[in-house]
Amino acid sequence: MNEQSKSTTIQPVNPGTFTVPGDADIPPEVLGGYCRACRKLYYPRPRYCPFCLDAVERREVGGRGTVHSFTVVRTKPPLGLPQPYCVGYVDLDASGLRVFGLLDPDRVEDVELGTRVRLTVRRMGHDGRGEARLRPCFTPDERAEGEES
Amino acid sequence: MTDVKVIGTGIVPFGKHLERTLVEMGAEAAFLALRDAGLSPSGVDAAFFSNGLASRLFGDQTIGQNVLWEVGIHRIPVVNVENACTSGSTAFYLACNMVTAGQAETVIVVGAEKMCVPEFGLINSGETEIDTQLGMVAPAGFALRAVRHMHEFGTTREQLARVAVKNRRHAAGNPVAQYRDPVSVDEVLESPMIVDPLTRFQCCPIADGAAAVVVAAPGAVRDQARAVRVDAAVLCTGNYENPQDLTKWETDYRGCRTAYEKAGIGPADVSLVECHDAFTISEILHYEALGLCGPGEGGPFVEEGHSSLGGRVPVNPSGGLLSRGHPVGATGVAQIVEVVSQLRGESGSRQVENARVGLAHCMGGDKAGDSKSCTVHIFSR
Repeated sequence: MNEQSKSTTIQPVNPGTFTVPGDADIPPEVLGGYCRACRKLYYPRPRYCPFCLDAVERREVGGRGTVHSFTVVRTKPPLGLPQPYCVGYVDLDASGLRVFGLLDPDRVEDVELGTRVRLTVRRMGHDGRGEARLRPCFTPDERAEGEES
Repeated sequence: MTDVKVIGTGIVPFGKHLERTLVEMGAEAAFLALRDAGLSPSGVDAAFFSNGLASRLFGDQTIGQNVLWEVGIHRIPVVNVENACTSGSTAFYLACNMVTAGQAETVIVVGAEKMCVPEFGLINSGETEIDTQLGMVAPAGFALRAVRHMHEFGTTREQLARVAVKNRRHAAGNPVAQYRDPVSVDEVLESPMIVDPLTRFQCCPIADGAAAVVVAAPGAVRDQARAVRVDAAVLCTGNYENPQDLTKWETDYRGCRTAYEKAGIGPADVSLVECHDAFTISEILHYEALGLCGPGEGGPFVEEGHSSLGGRVPVNPSGGLLSRGHPVGATGVAQIVEVVSQLRGESGSRQVENARVGLAHCMGGDKAGDSKSCTVHIFSR
């Protein structure tokens, strides 16, 4: 499967919660929120800052991190997801935020607590009505510690 | 809180009632509660009806008026309540507050759900929510907690399984529980894997069912001997802060602490607990939040029998959601029905000895790694 799908016809799920790679091949990131006044990062992004009620702008909060917990869902999957599929919480390096997300269903045997992962965006499942969707999905990150992409 | 007492309860056996409608089950539970309270329909000042899924499954809404009309209750305020798994316990919270506020003397709470329909699938927290779209189904959220609890505290698969084994053993004495046959640790662990490490017998089954209770101000209580006092009725919501500790819901700890403070008691005073054992790991986490044992000690707590009938503090003497099944809108009320039955000393072979203080605990919904809702209600006789 072409994980960095360039398709313009397939829409992402949860628009505005992750960046969809364009032609520049910039690695995708989770999109959270940032309050300039409080200098606080949020995920998920609230419309208004819970501390000062300023507008919270969208902000990249990271695309690489560490698996905090994960599990394999073996029952009949919702939304046309693979059977089985894998989900978990990932602690993002850039922000320290803990985000829920899909993990690579083809790499289940390579995932354990503490596994280094990076975000990909790929065609996966549908929107509940059969229309294909792009979804963010973490996959094991083979890059050595500290190496820049 | 101002004195509020439970004066009547009713419950329809939980199970697959393909031939029964939601309204029919709700009406029967209401009828049984009215009869138990010795009330006529005109003796009820207000009503709360809880349901979680009918709008999605059947396109039905504002059902409380239909249910209550069947038992002659009309004209009075009727409020329909949805708050995920805590829909019923939230309705109860509102009923108590209404009595405490002096807006009503006698209030009925009815919870009902019909969910045994083809292709029901798994419960999620809302179709359009971010996590749902990323594959968050209810058992996954709990499995991710189990994985962390096992990692951080050494909780074992066998300890998880023991929650299901104990609750099935308890259910043998409960005629309204859906599953009453005993299961062994091996049977639990060998049942099909749903979401690692949770096997099928560690996930509460779906069910159709209904339950009802009547609460009243002291002046409206006729039969003092069977009345059960409400010492605390607490509802709270998550903080949704990031990161969340997956081995404890702050919401759970905060809800339990608030209820103990309001009731002026501590965990050592509790005779029995009905808690939200939607999955085996949930009950272990709730032992810890309730202070029945220390953080991380929930696995050994169940293994050593402290939460069994005859143990230090029996948890889910009814068999819990794991045996009774989980008709979402009815569960929170059914837990209260069990606690009241225990405190009245009317629970037969599953009766907790010298039951003086009972606690009904429920949690619902998932948002940003936190719980959307937690209720903790404390009762005494």
